[in-house]
This record gives sequence, structure tokens and C-alpha cells, in this order.
Amino acid sequence: MIYIYGIIDSNGQIDESVYGLEGSNVYNIPYCDIGAVVSEVNQPIRRVTESVVLEHEAVAEKLMENFTVLPVRLLTVLDKRENVLSMMDDYYGDFKDNMDRLRGKVEFGVKVIWPADKVKSRIINAYRTRNQNVHVSDDSVERKFIRDKLKEHKIDKAFKEKADRCINAIDIFLGKFAEAKKLETLRTENLLLSAVYLVRKDNQNNFKEAFEHIRTARDDLKYLFSGPWPPYHFVIVPRKSQPSGDSGHTVTADKVILQPTPMGADKA
Amino acid sequence: MTMNSVVETDSAEVFVEEMEKLQEALPRRIDANPENVEKGLAKLVLTLVELIRKLLEKQAMRRVEAGSLSDDQIERVGQTLMKLENKMKELKQIFGLKDEELNLNLGPLGDLM
Amino acid sequence: MDSVITKSKNVTLLEILDRVLDKGVVISGDIVISVADVDLIYLGLKVLLSSVETMERLRDGPLVGPMQEST
Repeated sequence: MIYIYGIIDSNGQIDESVYGLEGSNVYNIPYCDIGAVVSEVNQPIRRVTESVVLEHEAVAEKLMENFTVLPVRLLTVLDKRENVLSMMDDYYGDFKDNMDRLRGKVEFGVKVIWPADKVKSRIINAYRTRNQNVHVSDDSVERKFIRDKLKEHKIDKAFKEKADRCINAIDIFLGKFAEAKKLETLRTENLLLSAVYLVRKDNQNNFKEAFEHIRTARDDLKYLFSGPWPPYHFVIVPRKSQPSGDSGHTVTADKVILQPTPMGADKA
Repeated sequence: MTMNSVVETDSAEVFVEEMEKLQEALPRRIDANPENVEKGLAKLVLTLVELIRKLLEKQAMRRVEAGSLSDDQIERVGQTLMKLENKMKELKQIFGLKDEELNLNLGPLGDLM
Repeated sequence: MDSVITKSKNVTLLEILDRVLDKGVVISGDIVISVADVDLIYLGLKVLLSSVETMERLRDGPLVGPMQEST
């Protein structure tokens, strides 16, 4: 069985010895002017363990050094070489487009945590100050309900607006050195920003410098910076509805479920 | 095999905490056995009802804020929203569902609510 | 000292998982054996992958399976 790590813009051999899952030798299966970087595994890998994740990622990063690599999702296993070639045939156009777009670029991740509770308190206090003179005593139950809901709504709105302003201040710096970006706001109340930036390899240092500048500018925020990664978030490959070619034998893939190991075995 | 990417942060624990919260928000697959099917369906239906209710509330608040409702209308909207909220509380109790359970993760689109 | 290292490692793992589980090139179709059009749900650091049948078997066994619905 063939485990796929990534697609590269080369049909040549991979020069040095690279090892993948189960200590297997990693090599390139060429197709036209690109190739699928794979290794052979004895059975379909079904358990997602720490070593599988790290070994998979290590290969992708090794490839990033010398090629443009489209990292492939974890646990992609095909039966035989012919299947890999037929897959490459199916996806060739998409792969080429991605190569052109992502050549010489890497991904960086930036996450920011802010003190959501403090921000909310400040907003609530400001609201109270502004609404001190509101007459409340003779309101009906319904009016009171609406008033409370409205207060909640206004606070929520102010909270989101503050978040947007904060993020904008950060993104203005980082975005300058990025070719593309994806920003996620308030994935949790405290996780103000979860962003990925696509940066040219030759612009990496400028980007890092911009981040350092932001990090020191404010001390009430907590930052996480990661990278350089292969461009996972910027690969665009449309799903194909048809299975490609003749796979030789039908293998029904199991429904796959990822479960956390329960913290205590007696959790029931 | 060494890795080149670095993950730099001065507050690892805080980030781990937040990132793990993201997982708790994801729906777990529900076993399709009889006892759970009912609860699973209730969860789905109530999630959608809750979405509509919240959208209605939000819309109402926007209009109250904009001052485009008369006093009488405000009273009636208040009444309706109150009833909806209480009904939902009842239903959640009947099916033993918590607020956090009534959400759907839409993958790349984020959470429903 | 130990916990600091563990936590840092966790953050790295989380960052990687955030990427490898469902980003990058997603190949779908019958030819994919391990993973085929599956909505991989990212559920944590210690992840256990099992087929539905395996899960059924685990549930009936003495070991506590990963997913226990309260009955």
C-alpha cells in the first residue's frame, strides 16, 4: 500500500534519503512534470498517533526545503502505484494550478488571545454609565425583557466591534508582507484571532520582524507564532465526485472516527 | 527526522486550553441505536429551532435599537420572545440538552451559532 | 520542568493537527483506502481512529470505548 505525503513540482528522484512512516523509504512517483511523494506501508494506517502525525509532517517539511510542495492530508493511502498514477491524472490540472500559485511561498500561523472578560467588563461599565438615567420602575415584564435583551445585544455588538478593531490593528502590519491570508475571528471568546498567512520565502524575515513589532507593542495580548509550514491552508483542490479508474479490487473504506482517549478510563 | 517549523509562544498553556475548547464544541457522532436516535433527532431539531429563535431575537433587537418599532409593537415582540425563550428552556429540559450541545460545526464555515 | 515541555509539545502537536487532519490536498474517491470522503473530526491530542465495527466490539468488551453514550 502506498502512503502519500505530498505532491511536488518535480518528476525526478528525491536526492537524499528521506524516511517516513514505519521507517519506510520515501520516494517520488513521477507524472508528467510533477510527482507524488510516497512510501510503502504494510497496511492502511488507521491510528492517528503522535508519531504518525510528526513523521508525516517531517516529510512534508523536508520537501518544502527544495520543492514547491502541496501537502497531502494525513492518512491518504492508495492501494497500488497504478492508483497513484491514475489519481495524478485526475488531479493534474488542479495540482499544476496550485503549484503555480504557491511556488516559493510558505505558510505562517498567528494566534492571539485577549482578555475577553476584561474587555466585556469595560464595555458593561461604559454601558452602565451611559444608561444611568433610564426609568425602570414602571415597566412591564415584557418591556423589562426587551430592555435586558437589548443590553445583551449592545454589549455583544460592542464586543465584536472591539475584536474587529483589535484584529485590524494586527493584520495591518502582518498583511503587508503576505500574498494571501485567512483570518478567523473569535473562534472562542478568548481566542481573538486565528490566522494563517501565505508569505513568499524571500519575505519571511520581514514577516517575522513585523510580528515581533506587534508582539512588543501590546502586553495585554498573548501571541502564538508558528511556521514556516507547507501551505496547507492555501491549497485549493476541488473534490472529485467520481472515483478514478479501476482500483483493481473494491475496498470499502470504514467510516473513520477520531476519538479522544477519555481522561479517566472510568468515565462512563 | 528533524522538523524546521517552530511554534513560538510565551503562553503555551493558555493556547492549549483555548484550542482544546474548540474540540469540545464539535459534535460527536451519535450511535444509531434506539435509545440514542430519539435524543439525536431532538438535538438536531432543537438546534435548528434555536437558530431561528436567536435570529428572530437579533432582528428584533436591531429594530428596537433603530427605533423603528412603536411602544405597542415592542410590548408584543417582548411577549413573543419571552414565550419562545421559555418554551425552548422547557424543551431543553425535557430532552436533557444543554445550550452547548445545540450547535453544529459546519467545518470550513465554522459553527452554526 | 516536565510539564512545561509537555505543554509546549502539545501546542506544536495542536498546530500540526490543525493542518494535517483536513487541510492540504484532500483526495477523495474509492481509490483512497484509509480515508475516503470522511469528515475527519478533529477531536484532540490523543486521537484514536477506529472503524464503526471496531467501536461496537469495544463497547461490548470490558474496556471503556472512546465513545460512551450515557444510557
